[in-house]
Amino acid sequence: MAKTILVVDDSSSLRQVVSIALKGAGYDVFEAADGKDALSKLTGQKVHLVVSDVNMPNMDGITFVKEMRKLPAYKFTPVIMLTTENQEAKKAEGQAAGAKAWMVKPFKPDQMLMAVSKLCLP
Amino acid sequence: MNLEPALQAFFAEADELLTRMEEALLGLESVPDDRELIDEIFRAAHTIKGTAGVFGFDDVVHFTHEVESLLDRVRDGQIAVSAAVIGPLLRSKDHIGALVRAVAEKSELSGQDRAEGDELTGVLLGLLGKAPAARGDSLVAQAPGVPAEPVSDAGDDDCAGSGNWHLSLRFGVDVMRGGMDPLSFLRYLGTIGEIVHLHTVADALPPWLELDPEACYLGFEIDFLSDASKADIEGVFEFVRDDCVLHIIPPYAKVSAYLDVIRALPEDDLMIGELLVLSGALTRAELERGLAQQKGGSDSEAPAGPTAPLGEILVEAGAVNAGVVDAALVKQKQVKDNKAQEARSLRIDADKLDQLIELVGELVIASAGVQNISQTLANIQLSEASEVLLRLVDDVRDQALSLRMVQIGATFQRFQRVVRDVSRELGKDIELVISGAETELDKTVVERIGDPLMHLVRNAMDHGIEQTEVRVANGKPARARLMLGAQHEAGSIVITVADDGGGLNRDKILRKAIERGLVSEDAQLTEREIDRLIFAPGFSTADQISNLSGRGVGMDVVRRDIEALRGTVEIDTQPGRGTSLSIRLPLTLAIIDGFLIGVGTATFVLPVGVIVECVELAGEERSAARARGYLDMRGEVLPLLWLREAFDMQGESPTRRENVVVVQFGQSRVGIVVDQLMGEHQTVIRPLGKLFSALRGVSGSTILGTGEIALILDVAGLLQIAGRNELVSHPATRARGVEADERSASLNVQ
Repeated sequence: MAKTILVVDDSSSLRQVVSIALKGAGYDVFEAADGKDALSKLTGQKVHLVVSDVNMPNMDGITFVKEMRKLPAYKFTPVIMLTTENQEAKKAEGQAAGAKAWMVKPFKPDQMLMAVSKLCLP
Repeated sequence: MNLEPALQAFFAEADELLTRMEEALLGLESVPDDRELIDEIFRAAHTIKGTAGVFGFDDVVHFTHEVESLLDRVRDGQIAVSAAVIGPLLRSKDHIGALVRAVAEKSELSGQDRAEGDELTGVLLGLLGKAPAARGDSLVAQAPGVPAEPVSDAGDDDCAGSGNWHLSLRFGVDVMRGGMDPLSFLRYLGTIGEIVHLHTVADALPPWLELDPEACYLGFEIDFLSDASKADIEGVFEFVRDDCVLHIIPPYAKVSAYLDVIRALPEDDLMIGELLVLSGALTRAELERGLAQQKGGSDSEAPAGPTAPLGEILVEAGAVNAGVVDAALVKQKQVKDNKAQEARSLRIDADKLDQLIELVGELVIASAGVQNISQTLANIQLSEASEVLLRLVDDVRDQALSLRMVQIGATFQRFQRVVRDVSRELGKDIELVISGAETELDKTVVERIGDPLMHLVRNAMDHGIEQTEVRVANGKPARARLMLGAQHEAGSIVITVADDGGGLNRDKILRKAIERGLVSEDAQLTEREIDRLIFAPGFSTADQISNLSGRGVGMDVVRRDIEALRGTVEIDTQPGRGTSLSIRLPLTLAIIDGFLIGVGTATFVLPVGVIVECVELAGEERSAARARGYLDMRGEVLPLLWLREAFDMQGESPTRRENVVVVQFGQSRVGIVVDQLMGEHQTVIRPLGKLFSALRGVSGSTILGTGEIALILDVAGLLQIAGRNELVSHPATRARGVEADERSASLNVQ
């Protein structure tokens, strides 16, 4: 059964690029526009990996990860955080919250695919 | 992209390397187990192959690869050094030269060369076939600094165990809490290679009661087969890199690949860590950790002590193989050494040097003009200033000329091969003895002396040295000696080609000369004159024309070549004991120390080097000398040459007295009678036009400070003129000539 990935970003075009790349590699992909939206999509299905932006309206990425880790089913789910280069402080905060993997924007779809496969093969 | 300058550099470099290779091969003949020579030969082939590859000269690469493979086996001691190896290698060296030349001239390889290449490849493969591939370990064992052969075809299949990477992985306790699943990385690892063997290390697992189910206690030892680079493999674990301990030990083959890369890196001044990262042996992350450790270690543990070298830290941390670090260190040192070397010597375009010499020539002439004016004006301050100027110009001249000076050694070394090949061909055992290889002479002379020397050497081997049986029968050592020597002698360079052969056969020479109508049958010739007949055009004593010498281009060509360099040849021969040919050459072709002499209104220049002394000729002695044609010089007969008469000049000789300049050239001495002596002069030689090339006794011209032109006297030519007169009119001096012959002969015995 294909692995499921949730892509969280307020930019719909970025979500599209990522999901096209991941779908092409054989993953099932769901999209969410912010942290709140994402939390709602976690329930009712098994998500194997989350790709999330940091800066988003309504609920930012780090708060979202903190909330997600409170859900028993998502305590150990891998998360890839997307960030721009000079966000070292955010990165430390995010890692403490349980998001170890970080990717710097902009990235190429291939790089995203490779990062995802290291954590979870389709 | 214009590669032309790089190409030219490659051709020059290849030439140099091939010469070194040849010398080393010949050296190996006498010392077959000389490691350094073997390494030198290997290096030469390796470098040529490598560089040719960069330019895409595939023919050169393919052929040189076979040569290199053979050399590799020789170096590992799998193939012993013997004539069976050296012979083909020498031929291979020639063939590589032919291949490179073909590329340089953008021409096709001649059919003959192509055939030679095919045959040689067969021979090389045959030699390689006899010694089956069994290297592998040899590559680490080799001395540092010796380039290793790329191991693309070896290693992988002949040693299965060592073809794998080894990963030693210990996950941090918190990885799972961070959302990282150890298994996911191992799965991904499986996508970039094959996990040959995996062993789970559970040593860190606590007793069940203390076990935290959310913590990770596992470690893995993994044998991994992959073409991926070390950085790629490390990248698999990028998200957990900071939380785990990871050692990546490259496969054996990879280590030698790193060594190769390190050695092939451009000669930039790099830090050791950078070198290792560039080679792929070390990842940047590993380097940063190593540097942090180095910094941390020196901060806390031993604040006063010296910092541990980075290489040691990295080896200790298991980040990199010690051999690789050594190679990198050697490389680093090489770069530094080369830098130092570059500072010591510098390649200059020969044309630029010639332009400089030309300018210095003009400077010398101009400064002579200044001196002339300052003398006329008799202004003390001006004369002092011009003296200083003159001295500096002299120094500049000497320095500039010394730039053109090169050692003759390289030219001599070429003959090692010639002597070796020719003596085999002739079935004679000949040893070449070189002396004075460090003697320096003008670059142009060195370049142009090669052909005449080649002729003389071949001649000596072919005609001079007897067959071994004849030598033994005459009680001489079976092994003949051929001596090539160079030395400075009174402002010129004397190059000697001497053999210990049978000497010139004067009867035969005379007979042949008469046969060919070179001398009349009733001619009375001295031994010296007979000897000199071998330089006559069209002369050859060879009864059979051999492959080597006596092809019709005779010794007269040699003489002409040497005379074109303003040099002379002399022969000394002793029946049964050998022949010695001395080539006397001027030190430089551009500027000489001259001595000005005046006849009437004309001024002439004699090279200072040939002048022995000057004497006054006046009173009774003058009239006696006039009548006899020679001067009694402290009991010795000195033939005189009146320059005024020799050149058929107008005007009367001075009434009161004349001057005699005694010149010596080789073994002859003559007094040149002139009106006045005018002192030394820096003489910039200007060649005479073609129209005057047949002039005897004059070799060139120069411009004096006054702007007047003075002719430079050619002493050898003058001596011939003097000798002619002397032979005809003064039998007494001829007798002395014979004595001189005997004296030189007795010197030769010693």
